[in-house]
Amino acid sequence: MFSKGNIVTYVIAFLFILALNFFLPRMMPGDPLMAIYGDEALIAMTPELKAELVERFALDQPLWQQLGAYFGALFQGELGHSYYYNAPVLPVILGRLPWTLLLVGSSLVLSTVLGITLGIESGWRRGSKTDRSMLAGLMGLNGFPDFFLGMLLLIAFGVTWGIFPLAGALTPYSGLSGLALLLDILRHLFLPVAALTLAHLAGGYLLTRNTMITVLKEPYMLTAKAKGLSQRVLKYRHAGRNSMLPVVTQTGIWMGRVVTGALFVELVFAYPGVGYLTYEALLARDYPIIQGVFLMVAVSVLVINFLIDLSYPKLDPRVSYAY
Amino acid sequence: MDKKVLKLLPKLLIPAVIFALLIFPSCPAGTPEISSYTIADSTGDWGYPSPYAHYSRGPGYIRMSFIFETLVWKDASGFIPQLAEEWEYVAEENAYIFKLRDDVTWHDGEKFSAEDVVFTIEYVKNHPNPFVTLIGPSGVRETIAIDGYTVKLYLEQPYAPFLNGVAGTLPIIPKHIWEGVDDPKSLTGPEAVIGTGPYTLADYSKEHGTYLYKAYGDYYLGKPFVDEIKFVKISEEMIPAALKGGSVSAGDIPPEVVSEMEQAGLTVITAPVAWNAKLTINHRKEPMSSKQFRQALAYAIDREALVQITQRGYGIAGSPGMVPPTSDWYNPDTPQYEYDRAKTRGLLEGLGYELEDSYFTKDGEELELELIAEASFKEVGQFIKQRLEEAGIKVDFRTMEAKTVDAKVEAWDFDLSIYGHGSLYEPSILKRVIMDEGFNSTRYTSNEKLSQLLQAQLSEMDAEKRKELVFQIQEIYADDLPALTLYYPKWYWAHDGNVNLFYTKDGLASGIPIPLNRLSFVKEQK
Amino acid sequence: MHIDLKKEIKESGPGKIGIIILLLMIAVALLAPVLARYDPYQQSTASLLSPSWNHWLGTNHVGQDVWSRLVFGARTSLLVGFGVGILSTLLGTIFGVSAALVGGLYEKVVMRIVDAFIVIPMVIIVILISAYIRPSILTLILLLSLLSWQGGARIMRAQALSLKERGHVAAARSFGAHHFYIAWRHIVPDLGPILLVDFIYSVRRAVFMEAGLAFLGITDPTVVSWGMMMRDALSFSYLNVWQWWLVPTGVALSLTIIGLTFVGHAAEPVIEPRLRGAEVA
Repeated sequence: MFSKGNIVTYVIAFLFILALNFFLPRMMPGDPLMAIYGDEALIAMTPELKAELVERFALDQPLWQQLGAYFGALFQGELGHSYYYNAPVLPVILGRLPWTLLLVGSSLVLSTVLGITLGIESGWRRGSKTDRSMLAGLMGLNGFPDFFLGMLLLIAFGVTWGIFPLAGALTPYSGLSGLALLLDILRHLFLPVAALTLAHLAGGYLLTRNTMITVLKEPYMLTAKAKGLSQRVLKYRHAGRNSMLPVVTQTGIWMGRVVTGALFVELVFAYPGVGYLTYEALLARDYPIIQGVFLMVAVSVLVINFLIDLSYPKLDPRVSYAY
Repeated sequence: MDKKVLKLLPKLLIPAVIFALLIFPSCPAGTPEISSYTIADSTGDWGYPSPYAHYSRGPGYIRMSFIFETLVWKDASGFIPQLAEEWEYVAEENAYIFKLRDDVTWHDGEKFSAEDVVFTIEYVKNHPNPFVTLIGPSGVRETIAIDGYTVKLYLEQPYAPFLNGVAGTLPIIPKHIWEGVDDPKSLTGPEAVIGTGPYTLADYSKEHGTYLYKAYGDYYLGKPFVDEIKFVKISEEMIPAALKGGSVSAGDIPPEVVSEMEQAGLTVITAPVAWNAKLTINHRKEPMSSKQFRQALAYAIDREALVQITQRGYGIAGSPGMVPPTSDWYNPDTPQYEYDRAKTRGLLEGLGYELEDSYFTKDGEELELELIAEASFKEVGQFIKQRLEEAGIKVDFRTMEAKTVDAKVEAWDFDLSIYGHGSLYEPSILKRVIMDEGFNSTRYTSNEKLSQLLQAQLSEMDAEKRKELVFQIQEIYADDLPALTLYYPKWYWAHDGNVNLFYTKDGLASGIPIPLNRLSFVKEQK
Repeated sequence: MHIDLKKEIKESGPGKIGIIILLLMIAVALLAPVLARYDPYQQSTASLLSPSWNHWLGTNHVGQDVWSRLVFGARTSLLVGFGVGILSTLLGTIFGVSAALVGGLYEKVVMRIVDAFIVIPMVIIVILISAYIRPSILTLILLLSLLSWQGGARIMRAQALSLKERGHVAAARSFGAHHFYIAWRHIVPDLGPILLVDFIYSVRRAVFMEAGLAFLGITDPTVVSWGMMMRDALSFSYLNVWQWWLVPTGVALSLTIIGLTFVGHAAEPVIEPRLRGAEVA
C-alpha cells in the first residue's frame, strides 16, 4: 500500500540538503578553509590544526574526493568543528537542544490543541457572530510575525511592567531547586511560549474549521443528530475527530515553521536554545555550527514528515495514494 | 445554576493558582551583598577558563585571569608585582631577571616555585597559547632557574613590549599538572583550572553562558573580600534594566543610558580609547596608488560629523596617525586633514580630474569607487558614501558577508573597505597592521623609512627613544595614508559601587579594555 | 468553472477589508516619494528624537526620519512580495500544467522534485543560503521564487488534470492540437481564480520572509526594509523609542500580511466550493 515513490521523494530532499551544505562554503570566494572557519579562527589556529583540517576534509583535493570525505565524516556522526566554541559541533548543538525542544514542544502542543478546539467551536457555529469574530481575530493574529509578537510581549511584560524575566531560561546560580526551580523555568518560558503559540494558532484553527464545515455536511452527521446525541458528543466525538486528520498531517509541515519561528523568538528572548545558537553563529560567522543546525533541523523535519506520511493511511483508511 | 458554577470553580482554581505563582517572583531580586557579585555579559559563553580552552578574545582571557596569574600585573597606574616581587632588565645580556614570591600556593595546595615558570615557558614554546607567542620576535631563547625563586629569561631579540605582552600576559601553569600533557586541549577537567589566583572555578555552563567563582582562602594577599563572583548572560539591551533592578552588579551599557544609570545611583566609568574603525584603501590600484588621492579622500570625510551622526556623539574623531589623541604615545603634530572639500578638489584637479556636473571625471570617465564593508558598518559606510559624493566622488557602497569582505581585501580585489581592530594601547600593533601580511593589515611597505621605523620601535628598549620613533611613525603614516582611521568609539560600564572597578593602565594584560581586574575583588578599595 | 472571484471577495467582510488594506499599502508604496518628508537615507545628528511636527515618527539612531523610512519600506516589502508572487506562480503554472498535459516520465520526475521541495522547510534553506550570499533585492526575489513555486505546481497540476478531461479540451486534443496550444487556450484561462489564490499566498509568504531575513540581518542593509528597521529598533529597546520606531513598523508589516490573508481567505471558496456560505456579510 505504501508506494515506493514517497521514499524517493524524501531521498531527493535529503540529498539536496546535503549538497547545499557541501557546496555553499566552497562557492564563497577565497580559500575554503577561510570560508568554513573564518579569519579570527585562522589567525589563532596553529599550522598543525590547519593541516589536519585540510586533510580531514580533503580541501586540497579535487571536488569529488572532497564530497567523499564529507559523507565519510557525516556518517561517523561528525558535523564539523566549531572553532569559535573550540569544540566539535554536535555536542554544542545537543547541549542547547533541550531548551528548544521544551519551547517548541510546548508551543506546538498548545497551539495545536487550542487551534483545534477553537476551530471545532468556530466551525460548529459557522456564520454566527462568534464564528466570524473568531475568524477575523485569528486571521488578524496570524498576520503578526512571531518576532514582532515576541518583541511586544517582551517590552510590555518584561521591560515595562517587569512581571516576567527579561531573558534566559532560568535564573543562573539562584540556588533554587525542586518546585521553586520548576516555577523559575516556567516563568522564563512563559513569554516565549506565548509568542510562539499565538503566532501559530491560526494554522490549526483555520484548517480545523474548514474541515469541520465540510464534515458537518456529511450524511453521517445527520444520522448522529437524528440519534439524539448531545451537542458535545456530536462536536468532539464525531465531527471533531474527523476534522483533526488534516491537522495531524499538516503538523509535519508546521513543525518546520514552528522551529524557524523558534529561531526568531529565541533571539528576541535570548532563550538559550538551538535557535539562539544559530543566531549567534550567524553573527560570529561560525559556519560549521550553522550548517550543523540546518542539517539537523532539515533532517528532523523530513523524518517527521516521512513518519506522518507512513501513518496517515492508518489514521484514515479511506485514503490511498492516487498517483 | 449554582451547581454549574460550583462545578466550574475547582477547574478554574488550579490554573489560577499556577498563573499567580508564575507572575509573582518566587524570590525578590534584591541587592547584592559583597558575599556575591554578579557581572552581566551579553555573549555569555567565552569558553572554559583554562589557558588553552578559553576563546581567544579579551573576555575569555579575563575569565581565565581570575584563576591564573602572571609574572607581573598592572593596576590603574602601571606595572605592579604579582608572582614576581621584583624584576630587572639586563640590557647587555638582553635578559630579564624575575625574583618570585615564596609564599604562593596552587589551588590544590602544592607550592609555587621557579620550576613552574621555567616549565610554563618551555611548554608554551611547544604548545602555542592563543594570547602569547614565545617564538619569533617576542620569543624567549632560554629560561634558567637561578634558585628556587629566581628565574632569568634570555630574549631572542630586544623586544620592547615584553613586559606588557609576555610577562604581564602569560598565565603561569603548574608543572605538576601539565607535565607530560601532549595535547593541552585534552585537559578539560577540574585539574585544568588549578592556578595561583584569588579565585577558583565553582561552576561553568556553556549553554547558559554562566560562570561561578569562589574566593581562594589561602591566597597570598589574603582571602578576597568578595566571596563569590558570578558571570551571567543578559542581552545588551536588557543590561540597563537589570542594573537598575539590582539583579546585576556590573555590566557594559550603551552610551544613551549613562545619565539614567547615574541617576539610579550607579557608578559609570568609561574606557580610554582602545579600538578604531578604519577606511582601508587599496593603495596598489589606480588612482588610490597616489598619495595625493588618498589625502583628497581624507579631506572629504568629516570625521567629527561621522562621530556625531553614526556614533551619536559617543566617540572621538579618528586621527590619521592611528594612535588615539588620548594615548601617551600620541603625537600632537600629526596632520589631521580637517574637513575641507576645497582641498579635495585642489588635490584631485592636480591629478588631472575635472569637476563636471557635480562629479569628477578624467579622460571622459567618471570617478567611481566601490566601498565594501560588513553589515555592522552600514551606517558608517552610508555616511562615507554621502560625503564622498558631496565632494564629487561617486561611491558604490555594498555590504557583504564578513568573510567575503576579508577575502576580497586579501586578494586586493577592492577599492575601499571598512575594518576595525583594537589593541591600540601598545605601539606594537602599528607594525602588525601597517606592514604585516594579511587582510587586517594595510600591507604598506613602499615607504622604506616608515618600514624601518616600525621595525626599530619594536626592539627599542628605552622608553623615551621609543616614543620618538612612534612620533615619527605617526607623521609619516599620516602623510602617506595607506588607511584612514575614522573614529574611536567610547565604551561605558556601570556598577553598583560595592567593588571599585577600574580600567587597567594600557588595558588588562596585553591590552584588554575591560574593567574587570582581579585586584578589585581582592582588597576593598573605596 | 467560471466562478466570479470578484463576487466572492466582495461578499466577504474580511475580504473587503483585506482589499482596502492592500490598496492602501500599494498606494503608499507607489506614492512613497510624495509621502516621505525626508530622504530616507539622509543621516543627521538629530538621532533618537521623539515624534514632532518635523518628524512624525521621530528619528532613528542615525538621525533618519522614521516616517520616511516607513513609507519607503513598503516599497521593498511589496516589491519582493509581488515579484516572488509573479515568478513563483508563473513557474508553478508552467511546471504544473505541463506535467499534467505531457504526463509520463516527465510528469513523474517533475512531481518528485516538487514533493521533495514541499517537504523541505523553506525558511531554513533560505536563511542558510542568505547567510553566505547576502542577497540583493533581485537575488532575494529569485531565491524565494525558486523555493516556493512547488506548492502552486501541485495545485495547478491537479486542476489541469481534471480540466484535461473536459469536453472542449478532449475535442481539441482529438483535432490534434498539441500541448502548448491546449494549455494556453483551454486550460490556463480556467485556472484564473486558482492562480490568483496561489499568487496571493505566495506574496504573503514572501513579504513575511523578506521581513524575517532582514530582521536577522542577512539581507542588503542599504535597502530600506521594515524587518531591518525592527531589528535596529530592538537594539534600543532599553529606551522608549520603541513606541514610535518599532510599533508602527511592526503594525505596518502585520497589516500588510493580514490584508493578504483576508483576501486569500475570501477567495478560497473558489477552490473549495463547500466552504462557501461560511461567512455571509
